[in-house]
Amino acid sequence: MSVSIGGTKPATPAGGKAEHPPGKKRKSPTRVSPALYLFPLPAIAVTLVFLVMPTLQAFQYALTDWNGFSASFNYVGLDNFIRAFTGDSLFTNALANNLKFMLVVVIFQTALSLVLAMMLTRNSRGSVLLRALFFFPTILSSVSVAFIWKFIYDPNFGLANSTLDAVGLGALQSSYLGNDTQALYWVAVTQVWFHAGQMMVVYVAGLQGIPRELYEAAEIDGAGKWQQFKSITWPLVAPATAIVVAYTTIQSFKAFDLILGIAGNPPKASLDILSTRIYSSFANAEFGYAAAQSIIFMALIALVTWLQRRVLRLTQKQE
Amino acid sequence: MSHVTRRQALGLFGALGMGAAVASCSGPGGAPAGPATGVAAPATGEITGEVSFAHWRGEDKEVFDELIKKFVAANPDVTATQNISTSNDYNAQGLQKLRGAAIGDAFASFRGSQFSNFTEAGLYTDLTGSTAASQYGTELLAAGKSGDLQLGLPYQVVFPMPLINLDIFDRAGADTAPKDWDGFLGTCEALMSAGVTPISWPGGDVGNGGQLFNCMIVNVAPAEDMCAQIEQGTLKCTDDWFIGMLEQYQQLIPFIQPNSTGTAVEPAQNLFTQGEAAMLATGSYHLAAVRGLGAEFPMELIFPNTSTSGTPKFEGVYNATFILGVNSGSDNQPAAMEWVNFLSDPENAGYYANETAQHVAVADVEYTNEDLQKLSPWLTRNTALAPRFQFNNLDVRNAVEASATAVIAGTSPEQAAAEAQQIVDERV
Repeated sequence: MSVSIGGTKPATPAGGKAEHPPGKKRKSPTRVSPALYLFPLPAIAVTLVFLVMPTLQAFQYALTDWNGFSASFNYVGLDNFIRAFTGDSLFTNALANNLKFMLVVVIFQTALSLVLAMMLTRNSRGSVLLRALFFFPTILSSVSVAFIWKFIYDPNFGLANSTLDAVGLGALQSSYLGNDTQALYWVAVTQVWFHAGQMMVVYVAGLQGIPRELYEAAEIDGAGKWQQFKSITWPLVAPATAIVVAYTTIQSFKAFDLILGIAGNPPKASLDILSTRIYSSFANAEFGYAAAQSIIFMALIALVTWLQRRVLRLTQKQE
Repeated sequence: MSHVTRRQALGLFGALGMGAAVASCSGPGGAPAGPATGVAAPATGEITGEVSFAHWRGEDKEVFDELIKKFVAANPDVTATQNISTSNDYNAQGLQKLRGAAIGDAFASFRGSQFSNFTEAGLYTDLTGSTAASQYGTELLAAGKSGDLQLGLPYQVVFPMPLINLDIFDRAGADTAPKDWDGFLGTCEALMSAGVTPISWPGGDVGNGGQLFNCMIVNVAPAEDMCAQIEQGTLKCTDDWFIGMLEQYQQLIPFIQPNSTGTAVEPAQNLFTQGEAAMLATGSYHLAAVRGLGAEFPMELIFPNTSTSGTPKFEGVYNATFILGVNSGSDNQPAAMEWVNFLSDPENAGYYANETAQHVAVADVEYTNEDLQKLSPWLTRNTALAPRFQFNNLDVRNAVEASATAVIAGTSPEQAAAEAQQIVDERV
């Protein structure tokens, strides 16, 4: 078997593509042994079977009224998409819940993880211990976290109301998940507790990469702590922020297991988010409609993530 | 060996991708499944091989293990295993798991939408006239019928009515069998006067909290298939009778534990077990769980009778569920059928019932469990088949039941009814 990669390839100028002298015929494409192309085949096959095909199928199902088990189905065009936005208050309710949940979680989780990271950037023994402690919830399974918090929020025997009672604040007791106007925010608290430690680690790595000299120079120039944060920390921690925000957004949209663990299946309307709504539609034998909802869900995550990156880039350019 | 260029390779991969895309567009579905018409009886033959029994009752695993030992001893050429999912998973994914019969040669299903979907998917074989079917009480078999065909055998009989602590009722002098709504409110008043919370209700748990709905609706609705009619749009949540029922829910607020809409089922059971509440508004299927939590007091069932005038139509509600079936896709139907026959034998059904503290639909079963003995008279009373399982659309069911929860949380009956009806209208 002959392998012709490397030695026969012309050197590429640094930082650019290979240049072809004008008037000179471009060299024929590099030839490699066909055996080499077999190596990515398993990965390609897995991707095709488990990602590409299901995705394409979802697009196809979304145009049908298939119930998930019948041999027959009808093509309904874009009816499923139209229904989702104009004829299904449960879907629009779940969408609104999800956006609220995302907004609250992104803001508070990003802020909390940044604050924690700034306090624990140093590699002292205490900081390392505290970082491990804050990171700990991340290693728990989401179902365990859901059950722990479900009992914390229980209005009869739960830790939250018992603590309020013990410190003389019994008047502030709530039914937490039973209160439709508050329930989503209580789950958001759980989500932030669950993932803030993980995001803190991303920020710690970002903060440790900022040269100390910049802060020393700023101090000599008389910059206060806020100015240092605004002019040095925030702009230089931008790549970490982009990761944290994007990851947190996706987590917020996919808080499926946490919601089901806390609220049960099906969750009540005040705790229904897009992923649980899609699950309910599948369980309700509306596969075509559920597929359409899934595509909307996918598009929404892509759109929100793109918007966030744009906004973040713009704000950091202004800094 | 000949060489290919990158371009050629990309072309090849592109073609593969296009092929996959075309393959994926071959149409929804997998193995075609037929409707209930033309359903065949399970195949007969030698009782050999492996039987997978799919169900959701993890709490019954040990009891089924014992029954499997006995089954295998009687049929030495067979092995049997249980494939257990949680009830939520089984409800949501049971059909996908059982299609093709990779698991579940024999299986159980919920009454209502799951049984309908399984039927439509052609998952059942016809058990009409089988030895197993002949063991059951005729009326109780109705939940497993599709037209004239007996596709499933409802194994369990449960009473989705509040469990009561008889000691507390005695102490409070409360009526255990109120004849109408005023009588039931009087019972609640007496219990509250005795210093206990009358009703422990898990309003934070949709499945268990919704059981009370069965009792509240059966005697006020204008038809026995009221939930099916709500789903079809012929009856509405905004009708006077439905709003009247929600007003009755509203009257229960002072008698239910505070913050009940946030209470999960386990804390609700604890309130009842610890004697802080006199009723547990779920059902007889929680007998074993409550005993497991340490309850030693005598228990009974009570029917919150919502009728306000005349003779009530029903004295209670029951549900026939855990519907046994033999998978039409199974390649070991003889052994699967034998397992269903075995479970339907009165002696084995009795073992299951007494060990799990649940009544069964099999006739001539001897109940030795004291709790079951105490509740057995309910088997012969004029009870209605639990109506909430008439809903085939789970979104509709949840919306209609959520109207009651919303009322308990403080929403007006009219507003709660209107919100529920909007969701129903979107799905009619």
